[in-house]
Amino acid sequence: MRLSYKWLSEYVDLSGITPEELAEKMTTAGLEVEGIEPMAKGSNLVIGEVMECEDIPETHLHATVTRIGPNPEDVTKIVCGAPNCRKGLKVIAALPGAELPGGTITAKPLRGYESNGMLCALYELGVDKKNLTEYQLSGIEELPADAPVGERNVFEYLGLDDTILDVSLTPNRADCSAMWNMAKEVGAILHREVRWPDYEGKADVGTPTSFKVASKTEKCPAFTGKVVNHVKVGPSPKWMVNYLHAAGMNSINNVVDISNFVMLETGQPLHYYNLAKLPAGDITVVDDRELTMTALDGEQFDIKKGDLLITTGGEATGIAGIMGGEESMIDETTEGIFIEAANFNAVSIRRTSIRLNLITEAAQRFTKGIEPLSMKKAVDRSVQLLEKYADASGFEETILCGDHSYQPVVVKETLSHCNDLLGTDFSMDQVTEALKWLDFKPEVSGDEIICHIPSYRTDIERPADIDEEVIRLIGFDSLKSTLPYMAATVGRLTPVQNTRRRIREIMRAYGLNEIVTYTLVSQDYIDNAFHPAGEAIALAMPMSDARKYIRSSLINSVLECVQYNEAHQNSDNTFFEISKVYGKDKEEERLAVAFDGVLQQDPLHKTVEKGDFYAMKGLIMNLLSRLGFNENRIQFAENTIDTDKFHPYRSAAVSLDKNLIGVFGEIHPAYAKKFDLKRVVYGEFFLDPIFAAKAARLRFTAIDRYPAVERDIALVVDRDVTAQALLSTIRRVSSKLVRKTDVFDVYEGEHIEAGKKSVALRITYQAPDHTLKEEEITSVHERILALLKEKLHAELRG
Amino acid sequence: MDKITEVQNQALEAIAAAADLDALQQARIRYLGKKGDIQALMSEMKSLPKEEKPAFGQKVNVCKQVVSEALEKRQAELQEEALAARLVEEKIDITLPGTKHTLGTMHPLFMIQQEIEDLFIGMGYKVAEGPEVELDHYNFELANIPKDHPARDMQDTFYVDPNTLLRTHTTAMQMRELEKAEGKTPIKLICPGKVYRRDDDDATHSHQFMQCEGLVVGEHITLADLKGTLEHMANTMFGNGRQIRFRPSYFPFTEPSVEVDVSCPFCNGKGCSVCKGSGWIEILGAGMVHPHVLEMNGFDSEKCTGFAFGIGLERIAMLKYGIDDIRNFYINDVRFLKNFDRFD
Repeated sequence: MRLSYKWLSEYVDLSGITPEELAEKMTTAGLEVEGIEPMAKGSNLVIGEVMECEDIPETHLHATVTRIGPNPEDVTKIVCGAPNCRKGLKVIAALPGAELPGGTITAKPLRGYESNGMLCALYELGVDKKNLTEYQLSGIEELPADAPVGERNVFEYLGLDDTILDVSLTPNRADCSAMWNMAKEVGAILHREVRWPDYEGKADVGTPTSFKVASKTEKCPAFTGKVVNHVKVGPSPKWMVNYLHAAGMNSINNVVDISNFVMLETGQPLHYYNLAKLPAGDITVVDDRELTMTALDGEQFDIKKGDLLITTGGEATGIAGIMGGEESMIDETTEGIFIEAANFNAVSIRRTSIRLNLITEAAQRFTKGIEPLSMKKAVDRSVQLLEKYADASGFEETILCGDHSYQPVVVKETLSHCNDLLGTDFSMDQVTEALKWLDFKPEVSGDEIICHIPSYRTDIERPADIDEEVIRLIGFDSLKSTLPYMAATVGRLTPVQNTRRRIREIMRAYGLNEIVTYTLVSQDYIDNAFHPAGEAIALAMPMSDARKYIRSSLINSVLECVQYNEAHQNSDNTFFEISKVYGKDKEEERLAVAFDGVLQQDPLHKTVEKGDFYAMKGLIMNLLSRLGFNENRIQFAENTIDTDKFHPYRSAAVSLDKNLIGVFGEIHPAYAKKFDLKRVVYGEFFLDPIFAAKAARLRFTAIDRYPAVERDIALVVDRDVTAQALLSTIRRVSSKLVRKTDVFDVYEGEHIEAGKKSVALRITYQAPDHTLKEEEITSVHERILALLKEKLHAELRG
Repeated sequence: MDKITEVQNQALEAIAAAADLDALQQARIRYLGKKGDIQALMSEMKSLPKEEKPAFGQKVNVCKQVVSEALEKRQAELQEEALAARLVEEKIDITLPGTKHTLGTMHPLFMIQQEIEDLFIGMGYKVAEGPEVELDHYNFELANIPKDHPARDMQDTFYVDPNTLLRTHTTAMQMRELEKAEGKTPIKLICPGKVYRRDDDDATHSHQFMQCEGLVVGEHITLADLKGTLEHMANTMFGNGRQIRFRPSYFPFTEPSVEVDVSCPFCNGKGCSVCKGSGWIEILGAGMVHPHVLEMNGFDSEKCTGFAFGIGLERIAMLKYGIDDIRNFYINDVRFLKNFDRFD
């Protein structure tokens, strides 16, 4: 909210406290001041009178002689470009050396005419353009004829000697958007007395009334109305206009301004109707109409069932709590008014105002909830100000409709509980002192403190609320630093959290960079999800088409990231991401890995580790092995999932204990093209089955005591014979002497028949209990060769 | 000079003259070989009278020994020279760069998360987790933010349906943990994770970001305990000597609620561009768990109290590493990621 320092000082003595100091203290007490702005800025200003005004030929400029002192000889020459500059006008002159928001004023000739300053428009002095009329914006400021020439305190004369504090109110302190309540708060912070105007009971006047007020909905539980038969509509006093401007509101006329001013003071939104436009003599609040109505800003609004509506004689005349109707608005012809101060349901007002996009000052206040006594305060204060500034008379008695009862809130807290929650050792005096300044009227009974909460502090309901008031007003500086004194607990990661960390470590050891991409994706990314976690979850109200769904797989987000980096001249990108993905009623955690280029490379030292299918396969094998899964539990098979995204012959599905845990391989060239990528290797792995699988325990295996013997063979087989077929055939010989078999070369081309390939295998023989004899090895080796020939037509390469 | 002495002198000369191991080998063959000169002297012995044989034989043996020793010595010398020459030959430019092996990087948000996890695990906290697609019940209702509460405006929400949403804060996990505890204390946990709000992405806003909240519930837990705990965290994250300052604030699920500032680690509180001259940097929100939240979750608010705090991981990372645009975390430009190649 915009808080006027000058207005505030009408209620609290702010002497000796600058706006900056006030801001600091308010912020420390929880009312965060986000900005401090003077209403107007400028030095070396003076009120002047244009004595002579001569047009400078062929320009829009005027050469003036302006009097800037009490005597006729106190004149200076100033050139002015404003169309309204004329002889006899009282003006604001900025003299040489004046510091204005637009810069420093100097004496320098214009078009050969002497000019010793500038005649000013208010916006040139930093006054918010919003508060100025079109006319004021089109030329220099025209001061009243009686303005004292030579007066140098120009801002004081204009009532612009004010500073605005931009206060950010937390939702619980909406009460402070009322000036009176804000004054109480500031008083409590500064320990200074607060004087509210003597408004009480001012509306307790009036003749009997025949005006009828009714509410046909529980969303308007209380309504206060009052007929004022005579008002005189005219301009508002200057101070009121200035305060309205300070609060960011415009001045309309004295009557409308009073309704706004009282709202700013009390927090109670008011509406004044032109009494002549309510000939039926009634106001009824309803919420069951559907119609279109014109509000007082001239705009048309569609009212739906459920919207609170003000009717008279059965016809709509206002959108309750948000904006009045055009028909019954106050203008110069208005002779009598009807005052409305009502309580409208916060939720209803909030919904209607958001739907109609009509976030008015009134609506904002209703939305945050009004306090129980504000209707009475506002009507009392209205009567007082209308009498004084609008010659109001012919008051009828106040009409109360609905429930106006008020039960004062009493909250009890004990000193010991307060200190116990805060970890402080405040004395009873310290605590009650703070509460007294808040007008909580604390009564002490032993350890107990009974607080009588003012009506506007609707946020205070419980002892903890009292404790908060105590600490924020005494100050957090007094708080010690301790650690919880409690039974010891064991802090540790869960097995899943540990596994996640291990996965990250292994990925980093491979040189992969971890990425985090957005959860929300487009329709296209959902349509092209890889093995989606389920039917995609759509947002009810997305912010954009690009962020419409909760992703059901990672593939597109990760490829998009590769695409971004390629487009930014980052090559050989190797990424991984661990993230949740979602389907309706399903949450999965996944690991995505992408290589776009080599994994490792050093041209100087001639090392290269390709980022191909096999690199990904090696990575996943390493990962699973490091997580405690023996290679016998892992199977690779032809990929049959989303084959439009993966290369049909360079991708594989991987399973752990026969549960599918992912697919990896080259991205199908046609799909890679979509991301402007050529050859990219990608894998998406399902972490939940990996987390769930039982990892082998770490065990020591005895070091072999007898030497191993290696036998290399080169076999020529059909191109389609897989390495796995060769290895499993060797395994079928099931000799305990075969310790392991490695493929160490695969060759196709020259010297090998077309359609065939040469596969070189190294078989390692070893026995745990003796040194192998040549005959033992040869016997097994021959059997292996025979079986390979029989099953796979494998011939030893000559 | 007898013949033996002559052969010996010749041999020693040849050995001394051998410039390399090949020449020395030639000398060895010439004098000590089976057909060498010294062997030839031995053959001459046959023709000597019997009584001269022993003296002659002994003399030849001495000669053989002297030559052998000289040869061995020379060989050792030449080997040493050869090795020295080879080493010179093998000289490399040690200023060439070492073989590249790129180690991967951790995303800065997870680095911060891990740092926070580890420091709280050290104080006996566990790390809780929960769903990102969350029920309104946990995200708002149990957190003391009923329908149409103005605080719902503070965190404009991505709804899926009237009851389901993308969690707007990690508080949702706290609520799940509180409910799960069924009124039993102590509770000591942190809950890191991704959260989502309807914000337009710009340098300081992101519709997706990460938080880590902490929750302690037990008997006699105080606001001063919160301060001490956060002070420990600040010292771990930002270096020793950090101070903590509380400012009153408002969160629906805590009472009292505070904004927490840490004394600026860049200027030590003197005032600099990072802290905008104030000497303090706002790092998180916290407070004492609202009694109503405890009650809704089945705790006796008369008996137990608790504190909670919530940290924005992006904010911490931006401060710690001097990152000026929050979008960097989600664009994942390799040039950005490569900065985070170690824990600070």
